[in-house]
Amino acid sequence: MTLEIQNISKKYRGNSYALKDFSITIEKGILGLLGPNGAGKSTLLKMIATIHKPTNGIICLNKNNILKDANYMRKQLGFLPQDFGVYPNLNAYEFLNYMAAMKGIGGSNLKPRITQLLEGLNLIHAAHKPLGSYSGGMKQRIGIAQVLLNSPKIVIFDEPTVGLDPEERVRFRNLISDLANDCIVILSSHIVSDIDTIADQVAIMKNGSLISYGDQEQIIHIIKDKVFETTIEKDALLEFKHQHIVVSTSQKNGKLSVRYITDHPQESAIKKEANLEDAYLYLTNTH
Amino acid sequence: MKPFIAILKYDYLQRTRSYAFLITLCLSLAIAYTFVPEPNASYSTIRIADYVGYYNSAWFGYVTAIMTSIFLSLIGFYLVNSSIATDVNSKIGQVFAATPISNFKYLFSKVLSNFLVLLSIVCVVIFMSVILFFLYNDGYTFEPLTFIKPYFIITLPALFFVSVLAVIFEVIFKKYTVIQNVGFFILFSMMMVFSAKTETDFALDLFGSKIVIEQLQETVKTITNTSDNIDLTIGYVLGNVKKANKFLFEGIAFPTVFILSRLLWVLLGISLIIIIAPLFHRFNVNDRTPAKKAATNEEKQFISNTIQLMNMSIVSTNYSIFPLIKTDFLLLLRKGKKWLWLINLIGMILSLALPLTIAHQMVLPVLWFLQVHRLSDLTSKEITNHIHYFSFSSYKPLSRLLVSQLLSAIALMLLLALPLIIRLGITTNFEGVISIILGSVFIVSLTAFLGILTNRKKLFEILFFMITYANLNRIPFADYFGGLTHSDFYLIQLGLISIFLISLSVLRRKHQLSQ
Repeated sequence: MTLEIQNISKKYRGNSYALKDFSITIEKGILGLLGPNGAGKSTLLKMIATIHKPTNGIICLNKNNILKDANYMRKQLGFLPQDFGVYPNLNAYEFLNYMAAMKGIGGSNLKPRITQLLEGLNLIHAAHKPLGSYSGGMKQRIGIAQVLLNSPKIVIFDEPTVGLDPEERVRFRNLISDLANDCIVILSSHIVSDIDTIADQVAIMKNGSLISYGDQEQIIHIIKDKVFETTIEKDALLEFKHQHIVVSTSQKNGKLSVRYITDHPQESAIKKEANLEDAYLYLTNTH
Repeated sequence: MKPFIAILKYDYLQRTRSYAFLITLCLSLAIAYTFVPEPNASYSTIRIADYVGYYNSAWFGYVTAIMTSIFLSLIGFYLVNSSIATDVNSKIGQVFAATPISNFKYLFSKVLSNFLVLLSIVCVVIFMSVILFFLYNDGYTFEPLTFIKPYFIITLPALFFVSVLAVIFEVIFKKYTVIQNVGFFILFSMMMVFSAKTETDFALDLFGSKIVIEQLQETVKTITNTSDNIDLTIGYVLGNVKKANKFLFEGIAFPTVFILSRLLWVLLGISLIIIIAPLFHRFNVNDRTPAKKAATNEEKQFISNTIQLMNMSIVSTNYSIFPLIKTDFLLLLRKGKKWLWLINLIGMILSLALPLTIAHQMVLPVLWFLQVHRLSDLTSKEITNHIHYFSFSSYKPLSRLLVSQLLSAIALMLLLALPLIIRLGITTNFEGVISIILGSVFIVSLTAFLGILTNRKKLFEILFFMITYANLNRIPFADYFGGLTHSDFYLIQLGLISIFLISLSVLRRKHQLSQ
């Protein structure tokens, strides 16, 4: 199973680009898509999900151009958009049946599968209540349930952990790991911790372009020996930020402990082991 | 004062920067074109017996001002009566509620914003009327002050008060839009039938038209030397082929009392907003959905150990659109309050009990119009509910989803018309049966097209209201369900228009899917 994205661009009026000459080849496993807000992640995912079409370029799934044959993708797609909604007057069973019908699936196994999903996502207690009465987290779980209705071969999650509490996030990651055994999972987020524990491959985007792509070790290697920690006075922070890329700060005995990225560390600075978040901040600040 | 102006300004901009408003302006332009008939036109708008005025500035100004006052008051209410609901739905209202702005200032900004929206339409009407004056005038020069005076005295106070009423109805009836719509229609009808003869009566006439009409009648009585009542028509009367005689109308000198009364309408409107302000819910809205219980630990646990994707039931392919039709039909049935179905039931019983002609001509259009809230977002509800990410990436969304939406809505309309269809069938009036079936297809294709075109429901709501108003006035042109007698080509025309609208809907949705 291969998803090839070749030189796609999305141009808006006024010569602005949401995506510019973007290429990537994705194989089975989990791809973590990282980027600041406005990087073009959602636009890319909507193109893969056949909702938007690029101005230029092609997208092929197993050598089939999905821009010409969108239904080839749709038959094997599971998509959880960032800001999806529900019909408030339907209950969970009715809504999932509707989603199943939209996807072109059914049969005698549909009802047991919906029940299994609702049980697995712990929504079975509320299955007959109207969706309008659900909390944000419960709606998010209904979204996840509809993704899993059709045993998808391509799964796209756009900022899936929004609305989930920390405990739910951990469980969600486990579910994705389970899911990725047999299909392509693309997971977008601007929260690095959502990605670094589960993604096989990581792509970092900024301003509609791909600025880095590879496995986590490859990306982290870019800033090997560049991450340091030091202590500074509070009022020196602004000046410090002008000179270095600051990853994080924390209070320590009335001073600030600063984790930062630099080629020229202070003498008192302590070298730290680099991680994906350091690499992400380094790449998005230097491109 | 600054926040008040800001709310007013951005509310107005938000409402006018939409495709739907652009279409509304275009429609206003088209309707304004008909206010003063072309000299050889086969219809009339304001006609006193066989007389109309010479096409001078006064006649153009007064006729268009009266027509605007009456029609824009009616249609305008439906255009602007969701300004608070929009803030509730967008949740921006909760932000307002947390600011120091007072209820009165917020509501009054909504009144002014409503008024500005209507004023924009008035400007379009004036623009079109001036163009028509230069095309049709009977050799008279254009006098701007004479032309514009009736707009200030007749039209603007009426529209201001309608803007007030729209806000008051929203505050009192909250999200019960059916009550708002029906309530205003009853109020409007009462105002229209109110007969004014004295200066006090004229002052009580919200639309400000009766004093002008009275003077026009008196003038014609003088010309014709008669003291009998004279036939007067206001509104669209088709088939008026007899050429009208002309008389010189130079406007009227409005009595001071009348001018003061127009100001009093404005002051009354402001006073009503002051009175109603303490009753405003300030976005503490009870949505009447079941209360969200605190999640139990069991519910809180997100993914239990029982979910094993490999062991789950395997579903099969099923491309039937029947499940889609079923759910779309369910969505239509569940829309709105349950007690509205009681009204539908009464309508269906009346379709059975009343004489066939009345059931067909009066009950059916009203019964169908009562479904306006169910039909109006038929093809835009995916966007407003953020479901379109799912539906647009579903399998064959055009041939399956759109078709299921159309079929479910047609099924609903036919279900409501079933008693009438059965009666027509029993009397072997098969043309009537086919008319009703085609009528349901037409109205559904109209809402589908306008929903896809604008991604909103308002335009269809306004048009459906106008069509129903015309139906109740038995205007043949607007009869889409065969209530009146028509030529042999009527059914073919109705069918072709529906096919045209559905084709446009498909093309537009296809375009949306290819973006």
